[in-house]
Amino acid sequence: MKNIQNLFKIKIMVLAISLVYSCSKDDPDAVNQQEYISNVVLKVQSSDGSSQTVNWDISEQNTQSINLKANSDYKVEVSFLNNSDPSDIDDVTLEVIEEADQHQVFYEFASVSVDVTSASDDVKDGSRGVLIKSIWNASASGAGTVRVYLIHQPTNYSGTTREDIGGFNDVSIDIPITITD
Amino acid sequence: MNRPLFQIFFLSLSWFNLINGQTCNLSLEGTITDLHDRSPIIGALVKLEGTNYFSQTDFDGNYQLEGLCPGKYQIIILHPECPTVKKRINIQTSQVNNFDLEHHINELEEIILSEKRISKLRKSVQEVSLDIGDINSYGSNTMVEALSYISGASVLKTGNGIAKPAIHGMYGSRVGIVTDDFRQHDQEWGPDHAPNIDFNSFETIQLIKGAAALKYGGDTSGGLIILSSSRKQLKDSLYGNSNLILESNGKGGKITSMLEKTYSNGFFVNGQFTAKQFGDFHAPRYLLSNTGLREADFSIKLGKDKIVSGWKFGYSSYAVETGILKGAHIGNVEDLFYSLNSDEPRVIEDFSYQIGAPKQQGKHQKISFSYFNLFKNQSKFEWGYNFQVNDRKEFDVRRGGRTEIPAIDLVLKTHNIIGSLSGINIENWTFELGINGLLQDNFSDPNTGIKRLIPDYLKYEAGAYVLGNFQKSNFFIWEWGMRLDQIVIDAKKYYDLSVWSERNYSVVFSDFEMQKTGSQILTNPKLFFLNFSAQTGISSKIGDRFKINASYVLSQRAPNASELFSDGLHHSIAAIEYGSLSLQKEISHKLLFSISKEKGSIIWSFEPFISKVYDYIYIEPTRLEQTIRGAFPVWEYNATDVFLTGIDFTSSLSINREFKFDLGASYTYAQDLQNKNPLILIPPLNSYQKLKYTPREGKWDFEIVHHLNARQKRFPNSNFQVNLIQEGQLVSETVDISTPPPGFQRLDLYFSYNLKNRSSLKSQIRIIAQNLTNSEYRDYLNRMRFYSADLGRNLQVQLNFKY
Repeated sequence: MKNIQNLFKIKIMVLAISLVYSCSKDDPDAVNQQEYISNVVLKVQSSDGSSQTVNWDISEQNTQSINLKANSDYKVEVSFLNNSDPSDIDDVTLEVIEEADQHQVFYEFASVSVDVTSASDDVKDGSRGVLIKSIWNASASGAGTVRVYLIHQPTNYSGTTREDIGGFNDVSIDIPITITD
Repeated sequence: MNRPLFQIFFLSLSWFNLINGQTCNLSLEGTITDLHDRSPIIGALVKLEGTNYFSQTDFDGNYQLEGLCPGKYQIIILHPECPTVKKRINIQTSQVNNFDLEHHINELEEIILSEKRISKLRKSVQEVSLDIGDINSYGSNTMVEALSYISGASVLKTGNGIAKPAIHGMYGSRVGIVTDDFRQHDQEWGPDHAPNIDFNSFETIQLIKGAAALKYGGDTSGGLIILSSSRKQLKDSLYGNSNLILESNGKGGKITSMLEKTYSNGFFVNGQFTAKQFGDFHAPRYLLSNTGLREADFSIKLGKDKIVSGWKFGYSSYAVETGILKGAHIGNVEDLFYSLNSDEPRVIEDFSYQIGAPKQQGKHQKISFSYFNLFKNQSKFEWGYNFQVNDRKEFDVRRGGRTEIPAIDLVLKTHNIIGSLSGINIENWTFELGINGLLQDNFSDPNTGIKRLIPDYLKYEAGAYVLGNFQKSNFFIWEWGMRLDQIVIDAKKYYDLSVWSERNYSVVFSDFEMQKTGSQILTNPKLFFLNFSAQTGISSKIGDRFKINASYVLSQRAPNASELFSDGLHHSIAAIEYGSLSLQKEISHKLLFSISKEKGSIIWSFEPFISKVYDYIYIEPTRLEQTIRGAFPVWEYNATDVFLTGIDFTSSLSINREFKFDLGASYTYAQDLQNKNPLILIPPLNSYQKLKYTPREGKWDFEIVHHLNARQKRFPNSNFQVNLIQEGQLVSETVDISTPPPGFQRLDLYFSYNLKNRSSLKSQIRIIAQNLTNSEYRDYLNRMRFYSADLGRNLQVQLNFKY
């Protein structure tokens, strides 16, 4: 008899706890993805003042191409945007500039040869340019790809290949590039 | 007290002595009760030594002595079933003196004896139990690493600080952990999530292969690990132990101490703490930056164990912070490719005790109360309540000062209530029945600023089980058990609208839809699972040396939160993981055999098993997904049917009184039957051998241990391609995350010396060398093998005290 009473007590406790919890949970808040980057924008300006803008968008993954003339200087400015909320576009480039000592923009080219140097008004960390603003000069005509990297915490800033630089990629996207004579 | 009745007894049982003429008119009276259950002790003889005064207790346990002269006496209480009690007493006025006796002393000692050794949970399944003290003496490693001395158990690691148990190649939700009668509830699903338990607060650890211990659940097709405190002694005593361990690798150590006070009335109180601190560990050739570890735990247990009834209260707190190898933080598959092809980690810094991102923090608090009562017919009623809070945070290297904000922040609260009635004997049959209820609440903090990997959910569980066994002689036992569990998962989760429709959820699960916000949809998946599990087996002795066990286990497991809902990027392996709402429960059939020789100078056991699992939930790479960091492989949870078999072997040979040799080996074969592929992360053939020398005279012993792990040749191919720019050209390379590393050997030495060996204090010094040859190897079951070698040589000094 005592057992039954005890089992009954347990039942009451289970019931009591389930009552406390029987109301469903509150609806969770949607997460505001703070570090997300949705767009990489390259603004390419030639020395004669003409310019083109390539906007790589994560949802469209468009293949807009960059067109350059060989042996002339172009000024390239890169920016990283978070437009997951179109009414409040977030310019992530500002965070990169703020943490210039921990970031490196890097360009790697396939099938074409382009020389990249830090622009005079580039964001600098000591003597090193972060390459937010850079000067591009292609040596010969051809068609290929440029891979745009945003590298976080690189271990070797003077590296000349992606592997040498170390750190890890926050951005790695490919944009077609055409160079004409 | 019933006066008239008392008078009758008094008259019939007492006898007066008025030899002397002095004024002897004092009286002594009182009640004699059972120490454990407060029942009166009838028929106890109470006498004053050296006099003729005596009395016998009545049905209410009362005694009375009258006509006493003032003076000092020795009172003696005698009862055939109780130990004799003698007390000095000074009688100057009439007084009442009550006494407690320990009744049924023979019976009780039997109970204490049988429960002191941790009793086997299921007799038809071979189980292994270890003493925590022994585990400690093999090093300051985690509980889980201690399991590597059990054949059939292995350890899944993420670096050095994070280890989780695997049994027959199964881990996570397929291996349950029980601490003092309650299942542990933490975020057990992740391969890089270690159980949040300090094993130092327990005395024994038992390992049961298969879901045979239905008392604790029927969903652990791998097996169960059970940690228990010992039964307390019924005597006034104070004892404890302390261990101090210092290690060269990681330049750190551990201190743990326990103190316990017991009283003869059954009351006990126990306090314990553990603290650990390590800096960066090192592999044979280089430092493993950011692999430090900090841990602080304590527990308090108190209760009253009166053998026939008792209660227990416990509180424990566990807090750990573990660094993850800095070189293992990668951004995309290119980084993974370069790491895999690099001979050493891509980041090596100077030694430090600092723990930076990436890192994990785990906090686990438990509070429990339980009560038991033994009935006259020896059946035992128990109930208990347990509340656990697990707080898990993972930190990544982030931009914009967000490294201090966790990337994953989960709080899991679990209420658990259990009740059981055991030891119901009907002729040769013994039965146990019980129920349990569970309520779980998971909260995933949105302030991380990263999409939730696991959503908010509520989980309800109600279960009932019945176990029985039939034992006619000491040579044969048949046992069986059944269990039914109802599980309800009630989640609230945001899906990307594109994913929701792409996976056809918008059609199949349109009932779950709540509201759309921007590009997301809030859903309320409600999932129900009814699981039936069962076990039956026999145990038979052949002669007095051999024993045969055979057992069949049916287990069913509902998919866990990660398998259902996972949604996001898993940094350490550069994979996007997606759960599946369509998963069904997993159904496992397992046959376990064992044949063992348990007596003689050679003892051994062979334990083969064979198992088939339907709807086995696994994760497989399915496609590539383009992200801002390049293309990532997408891993999706899916179900298949698998076949597993294997054999575990252990043996021990006492060569003579000085030398003892142990040998153990284990092999598991696992095959996905639908895809005709081997399963991933199955331990390769592994073995250990130990040789121990204990001189006949002398206060020391010496042990040498050799581990041998073969290369795992059976593995699924999960490799994928990555496009890299090398020397101005776009080239396609294979990212080989599948091929297991070569086999390895490891040599460990143990030397111990007893400093003092008195009954009040035993102290011992131990000197240990792990990986003595500093051999460089990578372990297939260690996730960090992609980035670095395993640990190099480690020298340890241990001081152990028992008092």
